[in-house]
Amino acid sequence: MTLVALILIFALMLLLRSPWLLPMANPQQSTSVALGFILIFAFLVGKRTAAVKLPQLTGFILAGIICGPFVLKFISASEVENLQLLDGLALSLIALTAGGEMHLERLKHRFRALSAVVIFQTLCVILGFLGFGLLVLPWFGWLGPSGFSQLLAFSLLLGTLATATSPSTTIAVITETRSEGKYTDLVLSGAVVKDFAVIGIFAFSLSFADALVTPGQGFSIGFLGVILQEVGISLALGVAIGVLIILYLRYVKGELSVFILGVAFFTYEISHSYGYHPLLICLLAGFIVQNYSAQGDRLIQALEKVATPVYVVFFAISGASLDLRALRQGWILALLCFAWRGVLTFAGTYFGARVSGEDVRFRRAGWSGYIAQAGVTLGMAIVVGETFPGWGEEFKALVLAVIALNQVIGPILLQKFLIKSGEAGRRVPERSWAMKRLPDEST
Amino acid sequence: MHAIYAFGLLILLAFLGSRLIRKGKRTFSPLTLIFHSGLVYILLGLYLGRRGLGVLSPQVLQGLYPVFSLGLGWVGFLFGFQLEYRYLKRFPRRYVWLSLSLFLTVTILTAAPLVWVFEQWFDDPRFFLHGMAGALGLLAGIHSPTLLNLVSSWMPKRGNYHYLARFLVSVGGFWGVVGMALLASFWHFPVIGQGILTKGFIMLGMSTLLPLLLGILFHHLTAKRVSESELLVYLLGMVFFVSGAGFYFNLLPLYVCMILGIVYSNLTRRHERIYPILLAAEKPLYIVLLILVGALWEFDLDLRIALLVLLLLGLRLAGHVFGAPFWGRLLKFPFRLPLAFGVSLMSAGGLGVAFAVSIKIAYPMALTDTFLSVALLGIILGEIISPWAIKVSLYRLGSRA
Repeated sequence: MTLVALILIFALMLLLRSPWLLPMANPQQSTSVALGFILIFAFLVGKRTAAVKLPQLTGFILAGIICGPFVLKFISASEVENLQLLDGLALSLIALTAGGEMHLERLKHRFRALSAVVIFQTLCVILGFLGFGLLVLPWFGWLGPSGFSQLLAFSLLLGTLATATSPSTTIAVITETRSEGKYTDLVLSGAVVKDFAVIGIFAFSLSFADALVTPGQGFSIGFLGVILQEVGISLALGVAIGVLIILYLRYVKGELSVFILGVAFFTYEISHSYGYHPLLICLLAGFIVQNYSAQGDRLIQALEKVATPVYVVFFAISGASLDLRALRQGWILALLCFAWRGVLTFAGTYFGARVSGEDVRFRRAGWSGYIAQAGVTLGMAIVVGETFPGWGEEFKALVLAVIALNQVIGPILLQKFLIKSGEAGRRVPERSWAMKRLPDEST
Repeated sequence: MHAIYAFGLLILLAFLGSRLIRKGKRTFSPLTLIFHSGLVYILLGLYLGRRGLGVLSPQVLQGLYPVFSLGLGWVGFLFGFQLEYRYLKRFPRRYVWLSLSLFLTVTILTAAPLVWVFEQWFDDPRFFLHGMAGALGLLAGIHSPTLLNLVSSWMPKRGNYHYLARFLVSVGGFWGVVGMALLASFWHFPVIGQGILTKGFIMLGMSTLLPLLLGILFHHLTAKRVSESELLVYLLGMVFFVSGAGFYFNLLPLYVCMILGIVYSNLTRRHERIYPILLAAEKPLYIVLLILVGALWEFDLDLRIALLVLLLLGLRLAGHVFGAPFWGRLLKFPFRLPLAFGVSLMSAGGLGVAFAVSIKIAYPMALTDTFLSVALLGIILGEIISPWAIKVSLYRLGSRA
């Protein structure tokens, strides 16, 4: 039935967008039909990918790519932009869920492994990409006749961005597979911690790169104060919102879904506008509710109720936003970067796990949980593009191409790891969200 | 204000509003009842809109059209979902005929004088004026069950009159929405006047076939065991897709989603699972829609508009008061329908508002601002007088039935 539905909905959209009906259409009012289409189409593609034992998430992303502005153009670039309204909402909901899934007691036990894996991965990836940039990039004729300092700046920033992992993708795959356990905790908390670490490292790298390529520009550490201030305020806001949610869940209770939507939305938009970190705020808020009140399960249940459609749209739109032109232009180098990042992540995870005494399974396969990349990396690539006119644009194109590969392959690798580790399906059904597959729906 | 902040503000207002509506103590006072019907949110929207604080400016509203689409689609789907043949067939056939006859009477009785009045007062091309008069006529024939259900909770005794009135107000909207779909198809903007018949049939065919097909698909997708969230994804997707297609082709979102609701409701056996989802989102979405309608409203009260509102109300009242007994006698009702019975059918409620704003969105012309003002003022005044009217007619008739 899913396949028939897919064909039917696809044919309908083809008809609606046909040149024959175009004279009777109002192109300014096309966002809703695009949203409805992508919601159903992506969800059905997700079901098909689940049937062949791939994450539904990959299906959502693939559906976005297929229907997006670079392939079939069912969703135009302007519609993708209009639908970004849901992005912030989705990110906040994902961060709240991630925070709500992090149990303090379990994290305490895994602190050593977590810190070792994050440190080794970060070092391996940054140093590895420095070497890669200096040795491989000149072979591809990138950056033209630029000097060593420019190549160094390029490589340093490439390594920094390669460090990031997407917490949103990680949490979506974990919830979809209903995973729970030691490896799940390490992958999720690792993705979250790296996401914040990379913000600081990026500020450092950007300033260093600027000093390298701009004559007379000195290296400044003024950014550290700004970052500390932003993180401090974000943490305070996270605690405040966590307390607010606890009070609401305890005393008001009703209209929980609308309340959660409102909180997620306002938190994202207001914090984003003032330069704070909505991801950190929502993550901490979820963490506070889970670990310092008895309301954690109710929060997770409320999130599960509203999350599925938002997640479908979020990942489908992220798929539609993936710049396939960039991938087409520089696919060989992008493929090399993708493979090299995988090797370095493997090395970092292996050594980190070994130092902290983790078992052989995590040492060998843990790396596959840290491949997915999305929003934060994209945002940083855009900043580089704007900061360094000229080669910054080349940099952005390359990173966008690598993100496209990571975001398609990453969720698949993570799912395989969770299944192999035996942690998939461990969570009790009541706690799982509705993207779970029911026994009679697998075909 | 940026569209996304406006969206956040709407979520907050919807949340507060739906809590107030549910928690508030109900007392029989028209002002309290109009609050419970939610129409005060139109005034709040008006205050937040261009004529008030400017928070919901026209640019912001443009960015929020998907929310309009969802709100109108939800109202249409929910209305259509209630039109289940299994339930409707319990009523005698003459109830259905009375509903249709009364609707046609009120529509023609309202539209015909308004055509003349519009021609005298406005300089726009005649086909625009006729269309607007027709739309007001259709609006006059629409009913909403919300107020009747609220007021009847105080009724000491309910009888035939009450059940007939409930049937009429529940089904009456159907004819109006179908009528408007016909009008919108054969009076299609922006191609009014060119190839009316061909394009009209194409539009009508699309408005009906698209939701029909998707309703069947929706049913097949949810026929097997599905989780609540999966159901929500399909429901949202279908409503957005169908209503969005309505917006995209300037069809009536209310009609296309009503057809979707009717098809799905009559095919599925999952009513007990889908109703909680529909009802949980209904109040917040409804309030958001009302606020947006208020913000979209270019409120301008001049003598012409005031007279048009009074004329609309007067003709609507006359149509119902005289139409019901006339058709009751002609259709050989087993009980006599007195003049007072028609007075109880004056509420157009949320469906009327959704209907009016659909016209405003589908026909972006200066004349539709006048239409929206007349329609909204007529609906609000109708809601204010309705509780008394219902009390006067049904309370008294209830004791006789």
